[in-house]
Amino acid sequence: MPETASIKKKFIINILPIFFLLLSACAINGSIFRNKHQAFVSDDFVIVKTTAQDTFSSLAAYYLKDPTKGWQIAEFNRMTTLIPGQELIIPLSPFNKAGLKAKGYQTVPILVYHNFSKKKSDKTAVSQNDFEAQMKYLKQNGYHVVSMDQFLNFIDYKVQLPEKSIVITFDDAWRSAFDVALPILIKYGFTATFFIYTDFIGGGKALTWKQIETLSKIGFDIQCQTKTHRNLAVPKKNESLKEYFKSIEMEINYPKKLIKSKLNIDCKYLAYPYGETNNLVIALLKKYGYQAAFTIDRKPNTFFVDKYKIYR
Amino acid sequence: MKKSINVILIIVMLSLFFGWARPVDTFGDDSHKGPEKTQKNKSVFHSSYYLKKAMTYKNKDELQLALFFLKIAAALSPSDMEIDGKITDLKMTIDRKSNNYLKKGEKFLNRNNIEEARNQFLTVLRYDPDNKDALEYLKNKLIPKEYINYTFKQNDSLKSISNKFYKDPELVSLIVYFNNLKSDAKPKPGKILKIPVLEKEFFQAINDRRQDLISANKLLKEKRFQKVVVITQKILKNDPSNKEAIKLKDEALYRIGIQLSRQGKYFEAIDTFKKTTPKYKDVDNLIQKAIQHELLKAETLLKEKKYEESMNLAKKILGHDKSNTAAKKLISTSFCQQGRDLLIQKKYDEALRVLDKADPAEFCVEKTRIAVKNSIKQQAEAHYIQGVKYFLNEELQLAIEEWEMTLKLNSKHDKAKKNIKNARSLLEKLKKIK
Repeated sequence: MPETASIKKKFIINILPIFFLLLSACAINGSIFRNKHQAFVSDDFVIVKTTAQDTFSSLAAYYLKDPTKGWQIAEFNRMTTLIPGQELIIPLSPFNKAGLKAKGYQTVPILVYHNFSKKKSDKTAVSQNDFEAQMKYLKQNGYHVVSMDQFLNFIDYKVQLPEKSIVITFDDAWRSAFDVALPILIKYGFTATFFIYTDFIGGGKALTWKQIETLSKIGFDIQCQTKTHRNLAVPKKNESLKEYFKSIEMEINYPKKLIKSKLNIDCKYLAYPYGETNNLVIALLKKYGYQAAFTIDRKPNTFFVDKYKIYR
Repeated sequence: MKKSINVILIIVMLSLFFGWARPVDTFGDDSHKGPEKTQKNKSVFHSSYYLKKAMTYKNKDELQLALFFLKIAAALSPSDMEIDGKITDLKMTIDRKSNNYLKKGEKFLNRNNIEEARNQFLTVLRYDPDNKDALEYLKNKLIPKEYINYTFKQNDSLKSISNKFYKDPELVSLIVYFNNLKSDAKPKPGKILKIPVLEKEFFQAINDRRQDLISANKLLKEKRFQKVVVITQKILKNDPSNKEAIKLKDEALYRIGIQLSRQGKYFEAIDTFKKTTPKYKDVDNLIQKAIQHELLKAETLLKEKKYEESMNLAKKILGHDKSNTAAKKLISTSFCQQGRDLLIQKKYDEALRVLDKADPAEFCVEKTRIAVKNSIKQQAEAHYIQGVKYFLNEELQLAIEEWEMTLKLNSKHDKAKKNIKNARSLLEKLKKIK
């Protein structure tokens, strides 16, 4: 009996306070905002009456478990602002993966930048002010800058993208992209993909491997743009078919291996130098495991675009 | 015991306090848990509203949205059989419409109208987003392929397949590469091979090259060498390292060079031989022989004292063979001989001007120059002595003229200067006496 009393005493002193501690914390949290909703939840959708505290983002965070998907609720309900007491439908899965409408389909443009200058823009470089103005325009006009992987998932008919989606890319690996464009991208919270041609790296005006590693570490996407930036589609003047084939194989394979060894990054995508390609190049890209490739044809992309001839 | 209860109470109070104060998203935020399926608020929402919405979308031909809103209405009024009936009807409409558009799309595709076929398949997908056939058409079948699949047959060989698809057995290497085969592989019948599809322009260039090579070989046999050169140059413009074209071009040029040599057109022959690959056959030897012929011509011209022509020919030889010492010597010899001729003609200044043009390092040039200068000196002295003779014979005017000739040849002849002065003084005095 004294043993039982001792156990009881230990329980009261040690375990019970922890129980109360947990109980109190759990009971108070969550009820602050969430339980105020009048909602009807099914497998495919949720109907909610919004409150004054709600935003598209907070609703997406709660019901879709992703605060960045507020656009999905806004676009489904064809609304731009929330009014308290409004009845909303929240689809729990993508409702229009291809962005198909009776009179058309969704397109996603991809911007391609090369070199930058601190002062004036010219044929080869965009000025700091112009780039800032362009990014500001995207932000102010409701564009969603999506990552290359998100874009490819859209192309693969796996996910839905916001109606005003856009992708930002940089070719060649100019150091000015790091010095001029990067701070602006960070300022606006935009992501981007850098296509690098490896022979350029470490040159006078090019990014260094250290800078590329930094870009990758802070969340920017690093992809391939061949070894030497030769035109892949056309044999050179002094090239036989065999030499040409050997050369383009090296252009495709070498940078992939190098980037893997230097940065432990798997190149999945390739930007064609001068935007040019042919069937042999595409066959080689597939053989070496590239999942998509990019031209510089100025058109926006549909979900049914040829994955090895994506427009920019 | 009382003490224990007090401790518990304090802990509960503290935990309550900190529980309230803790930031929402650091502990126990149920926003990450997501909603639980509940129908407790069903009475707040009205199916009639969603039914109406469904009909609006149906009228706008947005059938998927119409179906979605019908499902919402059905979920809010599960006992309403009419809504279930509407859902069944709409599903049937969707199936019917998507099947119709799929068939339309296939018809357009059979007529090779890709653009219109795509529009039909997109419509199918708009009605039925999970329609696998429409998706397959849009994502795969309508996109041009870089490969075609070919089933290997009993009598096939890789070379015969290459010939069949590319009209060129040499391109078998592409089939070998893209199918991970060995070059001498004999796949089993039934094996599916990937055959890369070469773009028309790319393939055309390779095919044209092959046809051109066949023509060039034929023309070489017919001894139409100039035509062989034209065709092979065309091939090499696009494919500069094409070995067969290089070989054909070399042979044609070699034969043209020999023909030109036989016609005595040695410089043209040299130019032609030089267009072949270095060290092709005995072209170096033939070039030297042609140069020797031209050197002989130049030497003959020299013997005939046609100095300008000889030198021009020698210069032309040097234009083809910069280090040709014989041609260099020929030029110097021409200058020397021309200088000597002028010396004989007592055209000393002209002789010296000619010698100035020659290479001073050449021995004959300096030798001739010295000879000219000695002649000038001797000539000046002869005029001086003749002047003295005239002076002694009291022919003062003639003496002055001779000494002036001396000064013309040697302006530093002091005696001649002094004598002229004396003679003129005497002439003055004689004039006064008279």
